[in-house]
Amino acid sequence: MPWMSLLVIVPFVAAIALAFVPRGNRAAGRTIGIVGALLTLLVSIGIVTQFDRGVGTMQMVDHVDWVQSIGLSWDLGVDGISIWLVLMTTVLFSLGMFAAAQRLPQRGNMFLSLLLLSEVGLLGLFTAGDLVLFYVFWEFMLIPFAFLIWTWGGDERRRAGITFVVYTMVGSLIMLVAIISTAMIAQDHIGHLTFLISDLHGVPFSSTASTLLFAGFVLAFAIKLPLWPFHGWLPMAYSQAPIVVTALMAALMSKAGVYGLLRVGVPLFPEGANTLLIPIAILALIGIVYGSLLAWRAPTMRLLVGYSSLAHLGFIVLGIMVFDRMAAQGAVLQMVNHGVVVAAAFTIVMIIGRGGGTEDMDRLGGLAKGAPRLAVAFLIVAMASLALPGANTFVGEFFILGGVFNQYAWMAVIAMFGVIYAAVYMLRMYQSTMNGPVKGVSDEGRSCELRRGDALILVPLILIMFFIALWPKALVGATQASTDRAIAPAQIAADRPAAQIVPSGVTPGSRP
Amino acid sequence: MNYIVGTPLYIMSAVTLLAILTGAFHLKGAARRLPEWLGIGGIVATLVVATGLWGDSQYGFAGEIHMSRMGILLTWIIMISTLAVIALSWGEPAGAGRRPEYIGLILAAATGMMLTVTAGDLIVLFIGIELLSVSLYILCAIEVVRERSLESGLKYLITGAIGTALLIYGFALLYGMTGTTSLEAIATKLAHAGPLTSQPLLIASMALVAVALGFKASAVPFHMWTPDVYEGAPTPVTAFMSTGTKTAAMGAFLIVFTGAAQGLVSDWRVLIGAIATASMVVGNIGALMQNSVKRMLAWSSVAQAGYLLIGVAVGTEYGARAVAYYLIAYITMTLAAFAIVILREREVENGDQIEAFTGYGRRRPWAGVVMTLAMLSLAGFPPLAGFIGKFMLFQAAIDGDMLWIAIVGALASVVSVVYYLRVSIVMWSPAPAGEFDGGRRLRVPGPVAGVAVIGGVGIVLLAVLAQPVIDLCQGAAQSLIP
Repeated sequence: MPWMSLLVIVPFVAAIALAFVPRGNRAAGRTIGIVGALLTLLVSIGIVTQFDRGVGTMQMVDHVDWVQSIGLSWDLGVDGISIWLVLMTTVLFSLGMFAAAQRLPQRGNMFLSLLLLSEVGLLGLFTAGDLVLFYVFWEFMLIPFAFLIWTWGGDERRRAGITFVVYTMVGSLIMLVAIISTAMIAQDHIGHLTFLISDLHGVPFSSTASTLLFAGFVLAFAIKLPLWPFHGWLPMAYSQAPIVVTALMAALMSKAGVYGLLRVGVPLFPEGANTLLIPIAILALIGIVYGSLLAWRAPTMRLLVGYSSLAHLGFIVLGIMVFDRMAAQGAVLQMVNHGVVVAAAFTIVMIIGRGGGTEDMDRLGGLAKGAPRLAVAFLIVAMASLALPGANTFVGEFFILGGVFNQYAWMAVIAMFGVIYAAVYMLRMYQSTMNGPVKGVSDEGRSCELRRGDALILVPLILIMFFIALWPKALVGATQASTDRAIAPAQIAADRPAAQIVPSGVTPGSRP
Repeated sequence: MNYIVGTPLYIMSAVTLLAILTGAFHLKGAARRLPEWLGIGGIVATLVVATGLWGDSQYGFAGEIHMSRMGILLTWIIMISTLAVIALSWGEPAGAGRRPEYIGLILAAATGMMLTVTAGDLIVLFIGIELLSVSLYILCAIEVVRERSLESGLKYLITGAIGTALLIYGFALLYGMTGTTSLEAIATKLAHAGPLTSQPLLIASMALVAVALGFKASAVPFHMWTPDVYEGAPTPVTAFMSTGTKTAAMGAFLIVFTGAAQGLVSDWRVLIGAIATASMVVGNIGALMQNSVKRMLAWSSVAQAGYLLIGVAVGTEYGARAVAYYLIAYITMTLAAFAIVILREREVENGDQIEAFTGYGRRRPWAGVVMTLAMLSLAGFPPLAGFIGKFMLFQAAIDGDMLWIAIVGALASVVSVVYYLRVSIVMWSPAPAGEFDGGRRLRVPGPVAGVAVIGGVGIVLLAVLAQPVIDLCQGAAQSLIP
């Protein structure tokens, strides 16, 4: 079975099928959308069950030559870094599809179709083994998101859409130039033109080339993440997009940037990554502090969660860029944690916004009185978000901070501020909406109470959080080999003591 | 003397004359379509004959015609866009009552374009460019009752005449320096010309030719006529200018620069590179502020000329290959886009305004899909034909040590995304209430819809099955560089 190709073909077919559903037939549209997302989830579960945890390279690879004379191929596979991202994508999109189907906007079939197309883009991106294919899916994902913001967004949707598109495109087109340059330079070393990431592993680029190419890639990743100061599109896009889309963007699209860093940036250009280690780490640290401060003062719940995401992604980037085994582990784990938690947080924002009619924290209060179950769920999510010991995110942040401390203690000290602020802003959000005198609602908040449909989305997310918190090894065990392999060349480039360098890693110059 | 090589030329000239001659008779009923059918028959015959000639380069007459693989490939592109333009003109109001002249002039222009791309001699090249230009001056102004159309023709005539003057001057200088008008002989002479800095006349001739061809290709800074002329001309003629003329002009660029002046590539690549850069930047920024899709496509065609010129500027086989592929992709997406504009224009007044397309995709989903594909492909979104084309152009630039132009091209594309995406999103936005109630209920003209659908399918297929197409382009590029 070509599992990997199925993974992108199933949602694509469902998206196309949705386009043929007559406009009025919303029930059929819902069914196709949800079934499409669930089938994709099944495929991804099939992939997880067949995944071999001991292997660090790409597995279950589907390879077809596409345009040989210019070096393009269709090459999909999974490894430890992508396996949980794939599963998380299919899970979150299934839940997102439920959420969207419950309150389908005007022209709902097209909405669901675009959601599925963005899933195609993300899944393709997380499994692409060819740089051009990586780029293809990178761009493919942008179009449905842009359409979703531009068509179904708030009052300023057009500006939000344009800002989002222009920011992203600047990064991605520079990345395209970097991709072509990489293959052109590597051609002399390898002997033929290829964009396969596995072939490009270990090509010794000169240190200037390595730095420039790394910078070319990182610009695209930094914008997508976003890393401070490339986050200009974030407030507009997050606050204008329909909330389901915002949740998926924050949970998954942001991971595209981190994933690119770990899949392409650091392993292919270890020297360049090492040169730019400190600058990027500083940007990540600024992002942690700045994002936390913005979240603290954010007027709406949606922006608060959005800015907190900026801070959390700073942590993840830091975890990757210090080239420490433990920190990188934590970063990979935290990618999943953050995705699940931020999706849950946006779900709560959605529920409150729907019941209370506003997402403005100053105009809401005391909702816990009429909506106790919501309050419980909210508290769990808030605790997870601020990385309370015992929560899933605690494991990830602990790994990251521990690893960072091993390498650069001062960075860990600054990053600690982010952990403290997280408690401040998350509790502020909880308190101002849930506690205190009842505000903003006439029925003491009963309209905000969890309904069966909301529970269907929140309960699985909370269960996943508990599962990871109790048994992180289930995840880490699968990611170890691949993560080691990704950072080993950079560790060597950074002249780390031999004891720290992962034994299974590839050395520069050798072909895996 | 090889006269067989001229067969495509004989066929096209004959059907041109016959099509015009039908105007002398009062044709009734189905026979009124005679000029169209003559044209279609001639084009199909030309395509078949040209395919038969595919192979090693052949020279016709005393070397005046050079049937290289590149010439044949470009002839195909030109013939297919001519065919599409005839289909787009089906029932075109601008051609009503004077169909023989209208179709005849399109065929004459196509003949000129073909002559341009198969020229083996400066004089033939010049005649080809003149034939296509003069025919198009008239075609732009063919709707004599409409002021905009007249204005368009006049503007094109005046700027075009300047271009012609510069071209003949450049050719004269080139002849003066090399003593021959044969492109093959010029190539040999220039290969041993030595450093260009000591030969100001050669520099002047190269610059003049580049400028003159830049006029025809609507490259910056010789693009000023483009938006007005494109907007004023009947839309099928606009489509013809942005596909056929562009192909012919790019063909001329390839023949003169990449081919004949190959020996001086390091000298002229800066010049062409500068024109390309300016075109990409100015074209894309100009297109941002347009409210008419026709004007937007005019500016976009300026920008596209810039992308194409990247492939000329590098002056390598990769570059020529990329230009050839991008031309195929470009005519496919441009014709598809114009087909939808023509459809809309026939339904409502001011149908070329972007607002007129609000919600159009919901009314005619297939048209919406085609337009969206065309716009995304023009913007270079993967996995569509425009992406593969841009990819190859950037690849050629980086391979030819012109990384900077690839970066400029990439950044310029960012700007283009805004206006292309705007059209495709507007197509699917909710239409204002009652918008479509009053509009004419148009029975979609089959040929126009055919062009749109074939174009839409082509945009996808050219990317998915790119390999054989690129092989053809590769063969063509090899025939260009001695």
